[in-house]
Amino acid sequence: MGQNQAAHASSDDVSGEEEFDPIGTLTLIGIYFVILLLSWVYIYYIEFLGRDLVVVG
Amino acid sequence: MHIHAYEKLWLAASLLLILLLIGSVTYGAVGPGVAMISDSEQPIDSQGLDEDDRFSEPRVEQVGENEYAAYVVAYQFGFNPDPIVVPANSTVTFYVTSRDVTHGFEVVGTNANTMVIPGEVSELTVEVGEPQEYGLLCNEYCGAGHHVMEGKVNVVSQEAFEARNDGGDDA
Repeated sequence: MGQNQAAHASSDDVSGEEEFDPIGTLTLIGIYFVILLLSWVYIYYIEFLGRDLVVVG
Repeated sequence: MHIHAYEKLWLAASLLLILLLIGSVTYGAVGPGVAMISDSEQPIDSQGLDEDDRFSEPRVEQVGENEYAAYVVAYQFGFNPDPIVVPANSTVTFYVTSRDVTHGFEVVGTNANTMVIPGEVSELTVEVGEPQEYGLLCNEYCGAGHHVMEGKVNVVSQEAFEARNDGGDDA
């Protein structure tokens, strides 16, 4: 397995992977990530903890 | 092995997200003291609730300074007592059991929500605030009258609670 990976890595490097630069995909995933974070903050801290009668025991 | 810079970024962001999720749940447990409803209560005989100390007379009683216990029996199709009257700004522990089938105990619009299983006692402790009237309903399908199974949790002022309980002794 180690040898296999090494072989692939060398062939990838030859093809010049860093030229593959999908900035649009990165931006889109970044936006999704921010939506996910804001949703979590809203659902947990505002909706859940903000309601009455939090179960404490 | 070569890893693309974007992949490294994505791996780091995923780990950060996991830490944030675990961190906020930990904060909830340590800060506001959010707890789970556990199975710590001993099983009881659902057919023998009439002879049970706590459930033969479902009621709210004072168990400590500003601490109250509410013993509630859910049945087809309602809750006893109804309404459940508790004093404002106190700590209330609900002990809920069923005498027939599985029910739900949900104080509407709040986090006080548990399943009620015959033979088991669900225990949940909440801090109640200012006087207010909450709805109470069954959220487990329990039979033909499930949709009419509802109750009330009334949070009343300390004086009103005491006056009501003094009156209740005569009855």
